[in-house]
Amino acid sequence: MFHKQKKYLIIVLVVSLLVLNGCSLPGLGGSSKNTIKIGTLNTSESMTVAYIIKQLIEHKTDYKAEIIGNMGSSIVQHQALEQGEVDITATRYTGTDLPGALNMDPVTDPDKALKIVQREFDKRFDQTWFDPYGFENSYAFTVTGDLAEEKNLEKVSDIEEYASDLRLGVDNAWLNRAGDGYQGFIETYGFEFGKAYPMQIGLVYKAVESGEMDVVLAYTTDGRIEEFDLVNLEDDKQFFPPYDASPVASNDILKKFPEVRDILELLEGKIEQEAMRRMNYEADVKMKEPAVVAKEFLQEHNYFDNE
Amino acid sequence: MDTLIELWNYYAQNYSYVWEEFYKHFLMSAYGVLFAAIIAIPVGIFIARHAHLSKWVFSFTNIIQTIPALAMLAVLMLVMGLGPNTVIAALFLYSLLPIIRNTYTGIRNVDQALIESGRGMGMTKFQLLRMVELPLALSVIMAGLRTALVIGISIATIGAFIGSGGLGAIIIRGTNVTDGTAIILAGAIPTALMAVVADLGMGWLEKRLMPGRKKSNNEQSNAI
Repeated sequence: MFHKQKKYLIIVLVVSLLVLNGCSLPGLGGSSKNTIKIGTLNTSESMTVAYIIKQLIEHKTDYKAEIIGNMGSSIVQHQALEQGEVDITATRYTGTDLPGALNMDPVTDPDKALKIVQREFDKRFDQTWFDPYGFENSYAFTVTGDLAEEKNLEKVSDIEEYASDLRLGVDNAWLNRAGDGYQGFIETYGFEFGKAYPMQIGLVYKAVESGEMDVVLAYTTDGRIEEFDLVNLEDDKQFFPPYDASPVASNDILKKFPEVRDILELLEGKIEQEAMRRMNYEADVKMKEPAVVAKEFLQEHNYFDNE
Repeated sequence: MDTLIELWNYYAQNYSYVWEEFYKHFLMSAYGVLFAAIIAIPVGIFIARHAHLSKWVFSFTNIIQTIPALAMLAVLMLVMGLGPNTVIAALFLYSLLPIIRNTYTGIRNVDQALIESGRGMGMTKFQLLRMVELPLALSVIMAGLRTALVIGISIATIGAFIGSGGLGAIIIRGTNVTDGTAIILAGAIPTALMAVVADLGMGWLEKRLMPGRKKSNNEQSNAI
């Protein structure tokens, strides 16, 4: 009888311990005090960068970092950060958050745009918008390498003389968007394409590679640009607002964990356009998980230990 | 065939990540069921004694069961925020019905004659529960836990939408990349495998705890 009671006691103890532990379950990290939560979009790019931050934090400090992934849009990221659901958002783009979170007019000069978001986020939301990583995920008119060579295309203006014969494949939303949409494009550049086909953004790369389209509007950091040997044309009239990517963190967390600020500052200018595109390529085309891509990136740079 | 090769490549490149998510996924499901069991088994026993309450309890748990998983997560997210804890709470709610119902059925189906003879031997109510009713109902209760765990593993997949990670994160990523069939499979196969293995494992345990197995039954009932 006695040893039965002992067994009960042990069971009761284990169970109550588990219940008490409810907030940070063993094995899951949960929301314990020393966990830094990083929010990401559902893109490979955002996740890769988030994993870089996570692994760097765990490499350089004793804190734990947790990824809260798959947020649908920048606005969701913004709200999660505002409400303290996450402490850092991994990728925020100047061109998205100026009209988005800040509800201000787009600014085409990258430096000015950055200054504005840095000032406004600090003032309005008590958050720090760091200097950019060094890559920009903007829209760019994109053609195949062959066509670019054949017609000697470098800038968007170069297309003008051929434009009426060319088929343009673009994102559904962009065609009818006010401001930096097609209408705005025609006004700025003063020409239009022979025919514009709306399509899913994910399909434009294949469409231009296979010759279904001549010119498409693509994302500049997409890995498929490399895979399909495509060329981005320079936006010489600065029609698209800049989409420089930066991390944003709440000032609370930066006060609480000053090391996090050092780590995020360390990444300033360290992820260049080419590097980001290559990592997207590894993740989207080579099917590596962003976590793995991030690890390889950090190993390649020796976790920035020498700086 | 290509997909199979891609799948193989995927695992070769990302095995450590897949394992991490697999482990996380299993833990979330297991915690949900565990916490539900802590509440639901006593509740089941209680309503087996007070049958007039069973109607209320069952209508309540039935209502929970009819809420679509995504809606449940969305509502819980408003209260509890993002992350694995919210998923565990959802799994907890979904596990209540199978466990309570099976506990109730198991306890109710214990032969009255056995209870009477126990009482005749001078057993207290607690002794009756511990030495007669629970051992006899155990395999039925286990069947409830088994159902709950399998449901839990499948629902935990959706948890990736509220940032909990788990194998669902792999599946969602597969839907976001251009040609993600292999990635979707890479997440779906371990999930299905986990559910099947959990089902088999719990089924085996359930059989072991069958009252028919006299010899091991004695040991088992002691261990409870």
